[in-house]
Amino acid sequence: MSKFSKDMTKDEKKLMRQMYWRSFTLYSAVTPAKQGASGFEYSMLPFINKFYKKEQDKKEAMVRQMSYFNTNLAMAPFVMGVTASMEKQNSESDDFNAESINAIKTSLMGPLAGIGDSIFWGVLRVIAAGIAISLAKNGNIAAPIIFLLLFNIPVQLVRWYGGQLGYTLGSNYIGELYEKGLINILTKAASIVGLMMVGAMTSNMVKFDLKWNMVLGGKTILKSQEMLNQIFVGILPLTITLLCFWLLKKKNVSINWLILGTIVIAVVLALLGIV
Amino acid sequence: MYEAFAVAIVVFLTVGGQELLGFSMLGRPIVIGPLVGLLLGDVKTGLMIGASLETIFMGIVNIGGASAAEPGLASALAVAFAIIMHGGLGVALPLAIPLGIIGLQIKTLIYVAVVGPFASKFDSMAEKGNQKGIVRLHFGLWALQWFLYSLIPFFAMLFGSEATQNVLKMIPTIIVHGLTVAGNVLPAVGMAMLMKILWDKNISAFYFLGFLLVAYLKMPLIAVAVMGTIIAILVAQRDYQLHNMGQKISAKPVVAQTTTETKDEQENDDFFS
Repeated sequence: MSKFSKDMTKDEKKLMRQMYWRSFTLYSAVTPAKQGASGFEYSMLPFINKFYKKEQDKKEAMVRQMSYFNTNLAMAPFVMGVTASMEKQNSESDDFNAESINAIKTSLMGPLAGIGDSIFWGVLRVIAAGIAISLAKNGNIAAPIIFLLLFNIPVQLVRWYGGQLGYTLGSNYIGELYEKGLINILTKAASIVGLMMVGAMTSNMVKFDLKWNMVLGGKTILKSQEMLNQIFVGILPLTITLLCFWLLKKKNVSINWLILGTIVIAVVLALLGIV
Repeated sequence: MYEAFAVAIVVFLTVGGQELLGFSMLGRPIVIGPLVGLLLGDVKTGLMIGASLETIFMGIVNIGGASAAEPGLASALAVAFAIIMHGGLGVALPLAIPLGIIGLQIKTLIYVAVVGPFASKFDSMAEKGNQKGIVRLHFGLWALQWFLYSLIPFFAMLFGSEATQNVLKMIPTIIVHGLTVAGNVLPAVGMAMLMKILWDKNISAFYFLGFLLVAYLKMPLIAVAVMGTIIAILVAQRDYQLHNMGQKISAKPVVAQTTTETKDEQENDDFFS
């Protein structure tokens, strides 16, 4: 029992559970024109059927909820909760402006997509994958399961409580976070963890060793890789990664060219016996 | 035949399955690799290649519907071919990259041409209040599009394995060595893509801290993650305090009327006093 749900009626709790399960399928039938509209509608149907008594009102709500919807999946239940609470108010009062429902829905999905994508895709997934990869390279069969758990447990908590939070607090909460500027603090903190992990993974996963040695009179007088290691361990992988980053960010080189270029250069260096 | 069927089922259940299960990451190489390995009788190779492909495809995620490749199909086929041909990353890599790009093209084609036209059908069903129809179409389209998508790995395995094998036999070992080297360097591209999302010059020092901790102190990644979280909490606390101080200052009516320059000065005064 969470603190958000303590004021809810039994029916509302049931609706919350239905929304949680149904919202998994948000992008099952994603279309270019309306993205997750059908999934949003599917998640809203229990509320619509509960709140509206007249057939005509139900149809209007169904048309309303079949509008364009696109946000990060972990954040979707929060938006659904807010939307559902507004549908409830709409069903109870005659002078409620039904158009405001879609306005709030649309204004929430943009910023939440940004936050959700950077926290869950950019940071959490990277941490989960990084840990799982290092386990897998050591031959640990549990790696994929650990990966899925590390990613999905936090996501499901956000999905479950986010929905209830959205429903309880209506549309005020996210606006308040924005006004107070707390979103920026949250994003910055998450980015710090993410960036540190990316740095750690650069060292852990990018491998590039020189094989080329200076030979004089049958004796090896200089081992290039050893020399580089004395200067700074992993200096080549670090430089290559920063170079790729620079090409991507400043030169707008496309990923596919970057991948192709890396392969070609690696093969050429192998042919020359350098690596 | 069994292999073709197994790989197609894996693609359907993971790449398609994650769309039904809220992008739960089932379709990532690190999951698909060992799964295909399990069905083809070589979990170890599947796990290793899955992990390598995950690092390469790490930067490739579906953000706001835009992506650069579809790693699921690519991983499934690359791992399957590598196991059947008893090759390692040198076999998997040259297959995985182009397959990822082709996979995305086909996925986009199905999305636009097969599912796309039904958007208006959904609308007219909503107008009529046809709830059952909406639910049926919602799940039906899912099944249809991923069935179509799974046909690709099925036929690729059925006809492609022998053809691919013959082509691969002709590749000299030195090239295979070069490709293995490339496989070890390519995570750099993935890392660079993540940096593009996360990089901010105020916090860029933490990237180098993370690198140093592993390169010299050999810290495991989970320890780096915990340490990063601790630092992030400390930074967030400090930011929050600064933020509250800033709010108190700007709440003063006098300051509210002054220009931003003097406001900054006052913040500094407060800060150093």
